Amino acid sequence: MRAGSADGSGMAALTLSCRLAAHPDSRCWFVAWSPSGALLASCGGDRSVRVWGRQGENWVCQAVLGEGHQRTVRKVAWSLCGSYLASASFDATTCIWKKTPDGFECVTTLEGHENEVKSVAWSPSGSLLATCSRDKSVWIWEVDEEDEYECVSVLNSHTQDVKHVVWHPSQEVETTRDPSLTLACQLLASASYDDTVKLYREEEDDWVCFTTLEGHESTVWGLAFDGAGRRLASCSDDRTVRIWSSDEQGEPGVACSSTEPSWKCICTLSGYHTRTIYDVAWCRLTGAVATACGDDAIRVFEEEPLAEPQHPTFALTAHMSRAHAQDVNCVAWNPAEPGLLASCSDDGEVAFWRYQRPECC
Amino acid sequence: MHRAACAMAAADSKTDLFDGILMAEERFHGEGYQDGYAEGNRIGVTEGRIYGSLHGARIGSEIGCYLGFALTWQCLLHKCTNEKHSKKLKALESLIGMIQKFPYEDPTYDKLQEDLEKIRGKFKQAKTGTNIQHWNPAIGIA
Repeated sequence: MRAGSADGSGMAALTLSCRLAAHPDSRCWFVAWSPSGALLASCGGDRSVRVWGRQGENWVCQAVLGEGHQRTVRKVAWSLCGSYLASASFDATTCIWKKTPDGFECVTTLEGHENEVKSVAWSPSGSLLATCSRDKSVWIWEVDEEDEYECVSVLNSHTQDVKHVVWHPSQEVETTRDPSLTLACQLLASASYDDTVKLYREEEDDWVCFTTLEGHESTVWGLAFDGAGRRLASCSDDRTVRIWSSDEQGEPGVACSSTEPSWKCICTLSGYHTRTIYDVAWCRLTGAVATACGDDAIRVFEEEPLAEPQHPTFALTAHMSRAHAQDVNCVAWNPAEPGLLASCSDDGEVAFWRYQRPECC
Repeated sequence: MHRAACAMAAADSKTDLFDGILMAEERFHGEGYQDGYAEGNRIGVTEGRIYGSLHGARIGSEIGCYLGFALTWQCLLHKCTNEKHSKKLKALESLIGMIQKFPYEDPTYDKLQEDLEKIRGKFKQAKTGTNIQHWNPAIGIA
């Protein structure tokens, strides 16, 4: 199966390399690559988490984490060291699994949300975990050396169901002009049914929402920072992807200082998707942006090289129109192997794709 | 000229009389409406006052619960010196501070909802790991 770019002139291709019936008779909701890129975790409506590893050309199931949750598992996330897996479930809990030589064992269950947990994410520092829920709140947990988790903040900034949380990729953010203003400052982003994206950081020992990104006309489902953390992509039920940037006055770099960095939308990709866009993934290695859509398709976009940094344009370089038999829920770029993309769908399957970049770029 | 004016005046009083009868229904509707509006206004204000005091009491009760919880645990923990408890104490102190700063006298305070949500969030954080982890006063009150 090959799919070329929309205008037919491009050299880009998205080729299927493997398809798995990962969560049979169920939906597969999310896939996440381990930090080394060697393993893929998937989770689904069958209440289980599965871990897949490569065996030659194929992917085989190496572990089934089936005893952790009473309801659908909606998201999974690997810790930065790759030794832990967190799973967020509709049963209102988040399980933390530790990788052992025999498989995975559940070391802790985080409770507190009032209803379905929709997302979980580990911070780049490794010491914080964020969860969000249909109860409209975002929780931040701190983990210590003894694997003890403690809730350090409950943020009630959204007015509706919070769908996704994602951490800024850097542990520290700095201004380019003045190195002394480098602050150890972690940034968290959340997306919600209330059509907004909110950003949070720690101020005086407490976490606060310091800005709200408005512009989407419907539920925001997914978020992805670019590799440098200078830009944020969001995808929505309004069938657009928006790119946000905090660069001020043309200066590169994310300013995390006492002056308010203002985030604004610098690009909107509209007219490409015919249904809700459920997920967006920004490759750290190549800069390609992949989307998972309710029209069963996967699309890949690349930034035009000659555009100004503050006014980027993206071109559609690949469009696989029947990537799955049903809604595509998630896309994920392998962190170590450029061009390797995993996806999953309501049809219960996980698919692996090879993306070949257009030769003109 | 004068005769025309008299004729017109006579015609006017005749039309007023007819007007009075013909327009009676409309006039009574109008008066009834004014009375009803005034009465409705009075009842509305009373109802609003009752609703306001009920709602205010509900919020007061909810915050009262949080304050009671925080003061109790602060008392229980203040003798403990270990790291974990000191973090808990900090959260409790922060909650107490937020509750004490809350402007109870001013229902028009523009950040009322926002501050209330912050207090609820801080309470949820503070109660994790305690025996009332699964209890939520905001839901429990009828």
